[in-house]
Amino acid sequence: MIFFGLFKESVFFAINALVVNKLRTFLSLLGITIGIFAIITVFTVVDSLEQNLRKSVQSLGDDVVFIEKWPWAFDGDYPWWKYMNRPLPDYNELDGIIQQCNGAQSAAFLISSQITIKHQSNSIENVTIICASHQYEKVKNFEIADGRYFTEIESSSGRPVAVIGDVLAKALFPNQSPLGQTIKINGAKATVIGVFKKEGESILGGSPDTQVLVPVNYARSLIDIHNENLDPQIMVRARPGISNDELIAELTGLMRSMHKLKPLVEDNFSLNQTSLISKEFDSLFEIVGIAGWIIGGFSILVGGFGIANIMFVSVKERTNIIGIQKSLGAKNYFILLQFLFESVFLSLIGGIIGLLIVFAITQLAGDSIGMEISLSKSNIILGFTISILIGVVSGFVPAYSASQLDPVEAIRAS
Amino acid sequence: MESIIRKRPKLITFVCVLGFIWIVFSFPAVFSPSVKKLGDWYPALFGLIVAVSFISYIGVWHMKRWGVGLFVISFFVKEIILILINDINYIGIVFSFLFIIIMVFFYKRMDVNL
Repeated sequence: MIFFGLFKESVFFAINALVVNKLRTFLSLLGITIGIFAIITVFTVVDSLEQNLRKSVQSLGDDVVFIEKWPWAFDGDYPWWKYMNRPLPDYNELDGIIQQCNGAQSAAFLISSQITIKHQSNSIENVTIICASHQYEKVKNFEIADGRYFTEIESSSGRPVAVIGDVLAKALFPNQSPLGQTIKINGAKATVIGVFKKEGESILGGSPDTQVLVPVNYARSLIDIHNENLDPQIMVRARPGISNDELIAELTGLMRSMHKLKPLVEDNFSLNQTSLISKEFDSLFEIVGIAGWIIGGFSILVGGFGIANIMFVSVKERTNIIGIQKSLGAKNYFILLQFLFESVFLSLIGGIIGLLIVFAITQLAGDSIGMEISLSKSNIILGFTISILIGVVSGFVPAYSASQLDPVEAIRAS
Repeated sequence: MESIIRKRPKLITFVCVLGFIWIVFSFPAVFSPSVKKLGDWYPALFGLIVAVSFISYIGVWHMKRWGVGLFVISFFVKEIILILINDINYIGIVFSFLFIIIMVFFYKRMDVNL
C-alpha cells in the first residue's frame, strides 16, 4: 500500500512539475528524449539493415558455392594482376562438376547482363537478364507465382522462353496475363512461360522482380556468353549433410584438375560463399553500432544531468513540504522514494517521447525507402530500461539529499 | 533515529571517486552492441547492476553501512553473471575486492541508518 501511495504521490508531483514549469521540464526532458532517440534509432536501423541483409543472403543460398574468376573478399597483399590473368568459368566445366562432384546436389552455369525488353509499344531499358543452365532452379532460391520453369528440353535446346519478374510483368502487360505472350529481348522474340513471385527490394541488389530468366543455350544467339563483362559463374549447391567447407575442398581439387594446375601452382579460380558477404557487412554494422552507441550513450548521460538538475531544483522548492512531512512522521526512505519515483517518471516520459519519435520515423522511412525498418521488441525494452535506469541514477543523489534533511531546518527554509 | 554525520576517511573518498569515474564510463557501456547481442534483457540486467553500484558508492560516500552491503551484493551478482556468460574480468575482480576490503576496514565507523 505504501508503495502505491508513494507511486501515486510521485506521479502527482511529476505531473505538477510538468504543468507548473513546462519550459524548464521540457528542456530537461529533451536531453533524455534526444539520447533515447539517438541510440534507439541507430540500433533500429542497424538491426533492420542486418535483417534485410540476412534475407538477401539467404535468397542467394547459404549452402551454395560460387565458382568465379574474382573473389568477393580480397587478401590485402594479393597482386591484382594475378586475378586479371585467370580464366573465366566455362560452361563446359559445369558437366564435369555435375558428374564428378559427389558433394554437389545441383549446379548451374549463369551469366547476366543489362538489356532492353519490349512488348508492343511498351519498352523497359536496363533490365537484368539472367541466362542460366537448367539446374538454376535447384541452386537459386526463388518461387514462380504464375506459370512454370523451363523444361529440360527447353533448356538444352535453347528454346526462346522466358520467366520474368513481377514488376516487369505488370509494366509490360498491364491488366492482362503475361503467360504465353511474346516479348522481345534485344530484338529476339521469347515466350513468357512464368512470372517470379514478388520479393521486393534486395539490399544486395538482384531482386527477381526486375529480372528476366532465359535458358543459357537460347542466350547464345543473343549475346557472347564468353564475354568477361557478363560475369560468368557456376553455382554449386551442397548435398544435405555436406558442409560448405567439404564442398569447397572437393571443388578445389576438381577445378584444379580441370584447369590442369600442377601441385605447387596457385588456384586460378575463386570459390565464394555468402558468409563472405555477411562477414564484410557484420564488421560494418559493428562500427555503425559502436558509433551510435557512443554518441547516444553520452547524450543520455548528459540528459541524466538534466534530470538531476531538475530534481535538485524540485528538492529546493519543496524543502518546506519535506520538513512538514518529516515532522509528521515520514521516514527517510519515504522521502527518498518519493523523489526517486518522480525522477524515474520524468525520465520515462522523456524516453517514451524518444521512442515515439523513432516509431514515427520508422513508419515514414519504411514507406519512402522501400525497405522494411521496424522498431523491434528488444529495442523498445532497451529504450524503457535506459529511461528507468537514468531516472534512478540521476534522481538518487537529489532524493537522498532530500531524505537527509533536518525537519526543523527544512520547515524554516524560505 | 537521528543519523550522525561521520568524517569520511581519505581512502574511502579515493575509492568512491574511482567508483564514480568507473560508473560514468561503464553506464554507456551497458547499452553497447556487445552486451545487446547477449540477449534482450542483458542491458537491463547490467544497467541495474551499474545503478545499484552507483547507489552503493553514494551510500559509502555518506559513510552508511547499507552502501557497503549494496556494493558487496552488486559485486557478487555481477561476477555470477559474468561467469555464466564466460566474460570474467580479473582486473575488475581485483579492484572490487580491494574496494570491499577498504570498505569493510572502515565498516565499524559507518552509520547504520539510511
